[in-house]
Amino acid sequence: MLEDKIILGFETSCDETAIAIMRNDELLVNKISSQIDLHEKFGGVVPEVASRAHAEMIRNLLHSALNEGGVELSEVDVVASTDGPGLAGSLVVGYNFAKSIAWSLEKPFLGVDHMVGHLSAPLIENPSLKPPFLSLLVSGGHTQIVLVEEWGKYNLIGTTIDDAAGEAFDKLSRYCGFGFPGGPAIQKIGDGGDETKIDFPRPKTSNKFDYSFSGLKTAAIYYLQGLPDDQPISKKDFAASYQEAIVDSLMSIFEKAVKETNVPTISGGGGVMANSRLREKLMIFAENENKDLLLPSPKLSTDNAAMICIAAKNNLITNDLGLEDIRLSSIIS
Amino acid sequence: MFKLSLTTSGQYISAAIFEQKLVSSSIFKSDKGSTSLLLNQIDELFKKTGIKRKDLDAVYFDNGPGYYTGLRIGMAVSQGICSSLGIPIIPVNGLDALAFAAHTSHRKICSIIDIKRNEFAYCTYNPLPGGVAKATEPEVITLDNLEIKISEDSDKKLLVGNWDLIDNKKILNDSNTKLADPRFVTAENIFNVGERLFQSNKYPDFNEIQIEYMREPDVTLPKENLVKMVNFYD
Ligand SMILES: [Zn+2]
Repeated sequence: MLEDKIILGFETSCDETAIAIMRNDELLVNKISSQIDLHEKFGGVVPEVASRAHAEMIRNLLHSALNEGGVELSEVDVVASTDGPGLAGSLVVGYNFAKSIAWSLEKPFLGVDHMVGHLSAPLIENPSLKPPFLSLLVSGGHTQIVLVEEWGKYNLIGTTIDDAAGEAFDKLSRYCGFGFPGGPAIQKIGDGGDETKIDFPRPKTSNKFDYSFSGLKTAAIYYLQGLPDDQPISKKDFAASYQEAIVDSLMSIFEKAVKETNVPTISGGGGVMANSRLREKLMIFAENENKDLLLPSPKLSTDNAAMICIAAKNNLITNDLGLEDIRLSSIIS
Repeated sequence: MFKLSLTTSGQYISAAIFEQKLVSSSIFKSDKGSTSLLLNQIDELFKKTGIKRKDLDAVYFDNGPGYYTGLRIGMAVSQGICSSLGIPIIPVNGLDALAFAAHTSHRKICSIIDIKRNEFAYCTYNPLPGGVAKATEPEVITLDNLEIKISEDSDKKLLVGNWDLIDNKKILNDSNTKLADPRFVTAENIFNVGERLFQSNKYPDFNEIQIEYMREPDVTLPKENLVKMVNFYD
């Protein structure tokens, strides 16, 4: 039913305008037009700036994606787009563009949840990923532990009660002038630093699988403010210690969740999952606990549209939907 | 030769199909969360009239000024349709569309469009036989300054657009000032200007189409961006 079908996917929930094309299991095109340059000077994503850039960018990005893949729009069989959650003003651009393409071509359209996109992303490189598994989804906008009991049955067992992990990176980075996005900037600065130099707190919450990161950022700022003027501090050690505190917090709660749910497989996604210290710790943990670890590569961890294509496809397969079914059920919802 | 025209710049979202004359149209009041409604509305127009998508020859859309999210939805939908069908997309300025709708008047025409945050897009026009010509450049103006501008202008004039948002009713009741329709941009207003631009080939290339925001994005630098001078060494 999905043999030789072409899926065109869109993702515009935050600051990346992304379009991907899949044919069968092959990712033909994975285009991302990053807005980092636009948001850099603000040290964070400015919603109105992001929405404007999506609207300006998306048509030309589609054009170059089709060129790169050697695909004509008329050959597309299914169109999919992120339909939330994310920045409202950004989401509407990709969603309406995608849906109007489906409408014009008289092809089926599927709205895909952004988080389900992240959960499904490992399938692109590891089609063997099977529920039940536990996924750690971490980025500037979300920090979640999701138990995937089966495809379509997603159980959110932990989340952040304040800032997301990526936000903790971004906010401190902005404060210190390290650059944007904060995660990669702090990782780079901290490379080779002594992560045990400063003992930042590992915040606890009342729900055992929930996270909290706003206290950590505040603690780091207080630490800097409390330093005597005549006592310079190693930038490397500071960055490495801060990163370690975030990674440690992420790991300790996630490890508890893995042990308690006793899933055979663990996974993850989101921008912070591109952090090499976090990936390294997950690898060690998986080995010690004898779990299968199926992470998307860093490029497919950050926001992209390939994950929207694969999530759409996976949804069609697991729900055994023919293309006629989705055309009827969701071309106009 | 069917044309689709759209406006999403204000409180009323409207879409219409024309074949020289109006074939069918629909209008509704936009709400929060109505992001999909424009395409639903278009879909219904096509179903109702039995017109095929491939019989569409061009799309005319309101590219502003107005409410940002609505404008972006209008442009995304227009671009999606035109990219898929390989047909021209023609942006039409909403201030122009309002003024053109009133061009049979003999007075100066003042186009007013609400752009939120107590500001308006404003432009004046002189009627010509068969059209209008800009008398001033379009500008962004606060409600207070708009009231001053209109009350100090002693020309005989016609207000079109969102004049009902002017609080000071004394200005509106002035003997030099006449209040007129359209009170907001409609798909028909967009069609009437778009059709002329299309017929005379006066429209930009696909790649150059932009939304007329008329304002820079509202951004305040976060306080924490003022980097604390930390005594770091590398
Ligand atoms: Zn994400």
